[in-house]
Amino acid sequence: MSSKGLAKAKDIYANRAGRVRELKAEGKKIMGYVCAYPPLEMVTAMDYAPIRVIGSMDEPITKADTQVPSIICPMLRSMLDLGMKGKADFVEDFIGAHTCDCAEKFCHLYQHNMQFPYYHFLDVPHIAHKASFGFMKAGFQLFQKTLEAHTGKKLDPDRLKQEVKKHNAQRALVRELYGLRRQDPPLLSGSENLQIMLALLSIPIEEGSGMLKDIIAEVKARKDGPKKKAARLLLWGSPLTETSIIDMIESLNANVVMDDICTGTRHFWPDVEMTSDPLDGLAKRYLDDLKCPRTFRETTSSFEEDQEVRFGYIKDYAKEWNVNGVILQSMKYCDTHGYEVPAIKAYFDRLGIPSLYLEHEYTMVALAPLKTRVEAFIEMIS
Amino acid sequence: MAEEKKKRAITRLESSALVRPLVNKMYMEGALAGMEERPVAWSMVNWWEGDIIMRAMGVTPVYPENFGTVCAALGIAQKYMGVSAAEGFPTHLCGYAQNTIGYTTEMKREGKVPEGAPMGGMAQPTFMLCSEGYCDARFKWFQSLRQFWNVPVWTLPFPHPVYTDPSLQDVHKVNVEYMAVELQGFIAFLENLLKKKLDRDKLEAMLNNQEKVFKVWWEINELRKAKPCPMHARDFWTMMVPCFYTAYDPETLAVYQQVYNEVKARVDNGIGAIPDEKYRLVFAELPPWHSLGFFDKLAERGWNFAAESASYHPPPPMELNGGGDLPYRIARWTYWSYINTGYRAAKMGYPAVGAAQPYYNWAVEYKIDGILTHPLVTCRTATFWHTHSMNVLRDKLDIPGMSIQGDIVDLTVFDAATALNQAPAFEESMDHFRKVRKSKGLDW
Repeated sequence: MSSKGLAKAKDIYANRAGRVRELKAEGKKIMGYVCAYPPLEMVTAMDYAPIRVIGSMDEPITKADTQVPSIICPMLRSMLDLGMKGKADFVEDFIGAHTCDCAEKFCHLYQHNMQFPYYHFLDVPHIAHKASFGFMKAGFQLFQKTLEAHTGKKLDPDRLKQEVKKHNAQRALVRELYGLRRQDPPLLSGSENLQIMLALLSIPIEEGSGMLKDIIAEVKARKDGPKKKAARLLLWGSPLTETSIIDMIESLNANVVMDDICTGTRHFWPDVEMTSDPLDGLAKRYLDDLKCPRTFRETTSSFEEDQEVRFGYIKDYAKEWNVNGVILQSMKYCDTHGYEVPAIKAYFDRLGIPSLYLEHEYTMVALAPLKTRVEAFIEMIS
Repeated sequence: MAEEKKKRAITRLESSALVRPLVNKMYMEGALAGMEERPVAWSMVNWWEGDIIMRAMGVTPVYPENFGTVCAALGIAQKYMGVSAAEGFPTHLCGYAQNTIGYTTEMKREGKVPEGAPMGGMAQPTFMLCSEGYCDARFKWFQSLRQFWNVPVWTLPFPHPVYTDPSLQDVHKVNVEYMAVELQGFIAFLENLLKKKLDRDKLEAMLNNQEKVFKVWWEINELRKAKPCPMHARDFWTMMVPCFYTAYDPETLAVYQQVYNEVKARVDNGIGAIPDEKYRLVFAELPPWHSLGFFDKLAERGWNFAAESASYHPPPPMELNGGGDLPYRIARWTYWSYINTGYRAAKMGYPAVGAAQPYYNWAVEYKIDGILTHPLVTCRTATFWHTHSMNVLRDKLDIPGMSIQGDIVDLTVFDAATALNQAPAFEESMDHFRKVRKSKGLDW
């Protein structure tokens, strides 16, 4: 791939399958995975390129309906659909994870349809009690065992520590990139940012970190960044695999300057703590530090304190990125995010930050009614 | 009234009438505990993981999921769902959850059990007990209720291992040990909350009773393999309630023993649950609680439902004598209840994954002619595997399937008329595939 920096991210975003096929042709082993929970450090330590399997809002679901009913998460249906159409043929081996209920079932059905030579399902607990960390670690040990058996290679603990450092270094670069949107106007648009994140999920870690360094330098020097607008918005919710919703928002008088979505900060934000047994640090990072509503957080002495435990980190984002509004978005049939809506909305109300909830169908079409609502919201907060 | 009874094509078990008092008692205990300000837990179905411990500690559990079925059956749920939507909860969320959120909103508004709530309503909880088991609603829903109830919420673990690999014994060991450790944590939580110690002798006695209930209930369902099937799904859905919620109670055991005797007598005398069993079906997964009379219409056509609701069936008996480690013993059972169908299917080489496995097992063992699925607008967990299950039964066993869109709680999306219009064509399909199976050497 000859392009660099933002152009490269854009190219990969536009044709991620193409880039992954190139990698495969170059001899890279491709490990597909779902959600943000598989420990990618272990995957790269075994010389795989981890590529996140995602759906497409742009591709009508035509085959997956023969396998799953239409009331199931449309993104997972889309992922299965693409797989059945041969559009994810670059995936060689696959890691599933119990992130939400539908994802758990999807993984088994995906494997049933795709018949990958190696399939490992990671059983991630929904609770983060003391014993849950041991359970999580045992799950990683089992993953290691099955992966070693499949590849015929041993996972070297020192190599794993190196990989942890490498992934943490990339996370630091991502945080630096996000920092470029703190100022007003931001140096990078929300759409560009999502393109970069989706590109990172589609290329090897070294290539991604190199691309990030180029992008950071380019963006710091650019003169053609986003214009100052009335609204600085934080975007929360279920994964976005296309920029269409952010494009729609940013076509109005608003910049999306921060997010809490799992193809954004959720995936990249927390580092892995360096521990003598790296699996301990990995277990903590993936079970507790990674903030997704799929994990139950312990209740405290009041609902308000619960809200702090569950959403306090988003308040920090809102403050540091100086947002004046929040878009809560979720695709239809996402129960994990659906249950959160009244509580998180009440939380932002209490903080005095207006919010708007949008439910969408995970398609490019039917965004027009949402646009009208977003427009009204921006006018209101301006 | 007599004329109404005459119209019903399903011959319900006489002993199923004995279940109603058990259910009434369960609700009355909950209401009474609330009035007397004794500890009450709002509890998810947890596959016997936490209920019996609560009971042994003197806590009276009430079950919002079951309350949802009652509200649906009585047509009250629609109102509560509307209240939930007005509170900002999406309408695709679990119907039981929407029902409870609406009920709770009303309860807080009125400062008491809402006017018109069935079965005496649900008393205010002292704490809420979630389960990781099966679906995310089981913990997200009670987390949401924290905005109404300032009480602690505890979540029980429930591993979800890969269904198909029976060789992963070390995984099973890790999973059960994790659950047992977490149950010790739950006991500590209760002891701290209630300021009293668990009476382990009491717990053991309750467990002994519970395990006898499981065994009888399993045997009852085994009897349903007989032709004609002696017990319809309607009776299953009525009778699964005590097994889930009051299996610790000797009265439950006595009732199940009577049910067993009646079903056995029917088998011995060749009596079916419907007069003329033309087709034997399985039902996936949860029924339209608001429209159960629909099954009488199907029974009139000779449709008998011999198995149903895979997640709610008792697993086969296992040796539970785990010594004095009661949490470990409880954990083993709950874990077994989750993995048993996948475990058996994998051992037998059945080509299915997920919840298609129990339906495959049943199709073979109960000599099934068709599968009727009921995709639920508000429940992804119970619906996810429907299409796959139908595919597997059709492709591997030449058993056709039919779907009726609907919901457990929302009666507005259930279209019985369309389903009944499809019935004759589906019967032709079942007839056809019966011949195909025979031609392939299958014995039904």
